[in-house]
Amino acid sequence: MAKPQAEQSVFWLGSFTALTFIVAIVATGIAPSVNPHLNGNFSDEDHYHASYQYVNGQLVQVSSAKIDDSKPVFGYTLLQERGRLVYQREGCVYCHSQQIRPLASEMLRYRIGSSVAPSSDEREYIYDQPHFLGTKRNGPDLDRVGGKYSDDWQYSHLYNPAQMVPGSIMPAFTWLFVNKNPADPSSVPIPTIDARALVAYLQTLGAGREVYDPALNGGKGGWRPWLKLQDAVTNQTMSEDTVHRAKVPIIVPGGSTASSSVMYQ
Amino acid sequence: MAVQEIMQMPTPAPPDKIHHSDEAAKWFLSVALFSLVVFGTFGLITAIKFVVPSFFAYISWMSWPRIRPAHVQGVIFGWLIPVAYSMFFYMIPRLCGTPLYSEKLGKISCVIWTIGVFIGTLSLLNPAGGDHAAGTLNLWLMTKGKEYEDYDVVSNVFLTAGVLLVAINTFRTIANRRYRQIYVALWYAMATVMWTALVYVIGNWPGQAIESTFGIPAAFSGTNDANVNWFYGHSVVGLVATPGAIALAYYFIPKSANAPLYSHKLSIIGFWTLGAIYFWNGAHHLIYGPIPYWLQTIATIFSFLLFIPVTAAVVNFLGTVRGEWHQLRYNVPLKFFVSGVIMYFLVSSQGSFMALRQVSGTVHFTDHTIGHSHLALFGFATMFSYGSILYAAPRMWRRPLYSEGIAEWSFWLSLIGVIIYVISMTISGFYQGILWENYNISFIDTVRAMVPFWHARAGGGAMMVIGMVLMAYNIYKTATSPAPADEVKPLSTGAANLAQAN
Ligand code: HEC
Repeated sequence: MAKPQAEQSVFWLGSFTALTFIVAIVATGIAPSVNPHLNGNFSDEDHYHASYQYVNGQLVQVSSAKIDDSKPVFGYTLLQERGRLVYQREGCVYCHSQQIRPLASEMLRYRIGSSVAPSSDEREYIYDQPHFLGTKRNGPDLDRVGGKYSDDWQYSHLYNPAQMVPGSIMPAFTWLFVNKNPADPSSVPIPTIDARALVAYLQTLGAGREVYDPALNGGKGGWRPWLKLQDAVTNQTMSEDTVHRAKVPIIVPGGSTASSSVMYQ
Repeated sequence: MAVQEIMQMPTPAPPDKIHHSDEAAKWFLSVALFSLVVFGTFGLITAIKFVVPSFFAYISWMSWPRIRPAHVQGVIFGWLIPVAYSMFFYMIPRLCGTPLYSEKLGKISCVIWTIGVFIGTLSLLNPAGGDHAAGTLNLWLMTKGKEYEDYDVVSNVFLTAGVLLVAINTFRTIANRRYRQIYVALWYAMATVMWTALVYVIGNWPGQAIESTFGIPAAFSGTNDANVNWFYGHSVVGLVATPGAIALAYYFIPKSANAPLYSHKLSIIGFWTLGAIYFWNGAHHLIYGPIPYWLQTIATIFSFLLFIPVTAAVVNFLGTVRGEWHQLRYNVPLKFFVSGVIMYFLVSSQGSFMALRQVSGTVHFTDHTIGHSHLALFGFATMFSYGSILYAAPRMWRRPLYSEGIAEWSFWLSLIGVIIYVISMTISGFYQGILWENYNISFIDTVRAMVPFWHARAGGGAMMVIGMVLMAYNIYKTATSPAPADEVKPLSTGAANLAQAN
C-alpha cells in the first residue's frame, strides 16, 4: 500500500477527529447564536421583556427589562437573581422544566383560570444565565407559574410540599427556613433570605409574556399580559385551583400548627 | 490495503517479550470500581426517594436534587471514563507492542482525575457549613446547574488536566508503536481522549462565574446556553462514553471470543460516520423547545443517520462472535459483551425514534428518557466495561479470577436488573406522556399513577447495585489474593485465550 491512510498516522487520525468536532460546533453551536432575536436590544418588540411583575398581588409594569442598567442583572432584580442561584443550587431544574411546548394539551394544562398559557419563545430567556429549560418533569412545568399562587402558598409548599399537595414527591426544602425557637410550639418557621429570593424569582416566571388580543383598543387589537388580572392570585388569599390543592395549616416541628399567613414576616 | 496486513493486525507483540506492569491501569481500575459502588448507591437512593420521599429527607445535602446530579456525574466521570482509561492503558501497549509511554504520568493523571471527581461531587452535594446553613452560593464552588456540566469550576480544572495527561500518554504510546497499521480499537481510544478534551472545555466554560465575578460578558445565555449545553451533553454520551466502550469492544470481543475481527471495512465506516454524525444530535434534547426549528430538524435527521455507525459496529461485533455462540455458556466476559451489543442496538434505535417530533411530543420530559439513558450507560457502556475488566484484571494481576460464580451472579443481576429498570421506565414514560395529553387530569394524579413503576425501578436498580458490589468485590479479591506459584495458570474464563494474552 503506497498511500498512507488516516488510520495509519496518529497525526492525520487526530486531525480528522478534531475536524468532526469543529465542523459540528460551528454549524450547530455557533450558527444558531447569530440570531437577531437573542441580542437583547428590541425596539418595537418590547412586549417580550419581563416588563410586568406581580408585586403584592398587583400587576405592575416596570419601566424597562433591565431593571438596573448599571448592573448586568439580566432583567432580574438582585433579589430575583439570588433566587435563580438558589434554584440552581437546590437543583429544581432536575424536576421542573421551564418551557411550554407549542402543543395544545400543554398550553391548556398550564393555563391559569381562563388564561391559556402561550408557548415559550426564545426571547423570553435572553437574561437567563444559566438556562433552566430542563429535560425532566417530575413536577409540573414552571414557566408560567408566576402569579399562579400566593407567596404564602409557595412558602408553605417549599417547607412541606406534601401538606399542600398530598402525594407530592417534591422534597421538603426545610433548610430554607429557620425556626427561631423550636422549643416553643407556637413558633413558626420563618423563610430565610434564600427562600424569599427563590419565591420572588418564581413569581417572575411568565410574568413578562404578552399575547396579542384582537379585542383590545376597541377592536383594533393590542398586546396584553398573558395572565389576566382576574386570574392572578393576590398575596392575601390562598389559591385553590382545580387540582387537589388543600388549604392545610402549616405543620410546625414540635407538633403545633399555625396558619400559613403568619408564617413569615 | 494488503490483506496480509489486515490479518496481522489484532496480533500484538509476541508474548513474553515485553513485561507490562499495568500500574496506571490498576490505579484507574481501582478508582473506577470504588466510584461505581458509591455512585451506583447514590442512584439507588434517588430511586428509593421517589417511592419514599421522606427517606433521608430534611438533610440538605442528602436531598433528591443534590444526590441525583452527583449520581449522574459520578457514574460518568467516576466510573465510565476511568474504567475506559484503565482498559486503554491495558490494551494500547499490547496493541502497539511497546510499553506505556509513562506509567508514572498515568498514575499522576489518575490522582488528578480522582481529586476532580471528589471536588465535583462535593460541590453538587454542597454540604452546609459555617455561614452557609444551606450550602454555598459561590459560583466558583457550587454546581453550574446544567445537566452533564454540573461539576463546579474547580473540579473542571482538575478533570481537564487529567484528560490532557491521559491524551499525552495515549498519543505518545501509539506514536511509539512497532506496527505501522493502527488497529481500530486504537482509533477509538485516541478519538475518545481527543473528543473528551475538546467537548469538555467547550461544555464547562465557566461563563456565569466569570460574568458575575468580573462583570464582563463571557457567557451564552438563554436558549443559546441551552443549545451549547446539549451539544456538550449529547457529546458526553455519544463521543466520550460511546467510543470509549466501543474501543474496548473492538479489542476485548475478539480477545475473549478468541476469534478474528469480522470486517475491517465496517470498522472504518463505523468510526468515521460516528465522528461525523454524533456531534449534530444535541438539539434533539430540545425538540419542540424554544430553539430554531431548523436546528431541531437537523438533529432529527442526524439521529436517524446514527443507524449507520451503530449498525456497522453491531454487525461487526456479532459477526466476530459468529460460530462461537457455544462459548456463551461459560465465557462470562463474552456474555457481558453480547448482551451489551444487543442493548447498544436497542438503545440507539430507540434514541433515533425518540428524536421524531411525534414521539418526542409524548415521551419527552417523562421517565422514558431515564430508561433510555440507563439502557445506554448501563446496558451498553457498563456491560462492555464489565466484560473488559473480567478479561483484563486477571491478566493485569497475573492470577486467576477470584470467583467465576460471583462473576456469573453479577452478570445475571445486572442483566435482569437493567431489563426490569428499562421496561418499567419505558412503559411508565409512555403512560405518563399519554396522561399529560389529557389536560383535565391533574398533574399530581399523573405522578401518583407512576408509583407502581417506581417500585419496579427501585427493585431493578437494587439488583444492578448488588451486581456492582459483587463485581467490585470479585476484582478486589482477585487483586489481593496470593499470586500463584507458577505464573502460567489458567486465568479466567476462556482459558484457551491465555496463550495470546501476554
Ligand atoms: C423530586 C422532584 C422535585 C424537585 C427537586 C422539586 N420539585 Fe417542585 N414539584 C415536584 C412535584 C412532583 C410537584 C407537583 C406536586 C406538588 O405541587 O407538590 C411539584 C410542584 C411544584 C410547584 C407547583 C407547580 C404548580 O403549577 O402547581 C412549584 C412552584 C414547585 N414545585 C417549585 C419547586 C422549586 C422552587 C424547587 C426547587 C427548590 C422544586 N420545586 C424542586 C417535584 C419536585
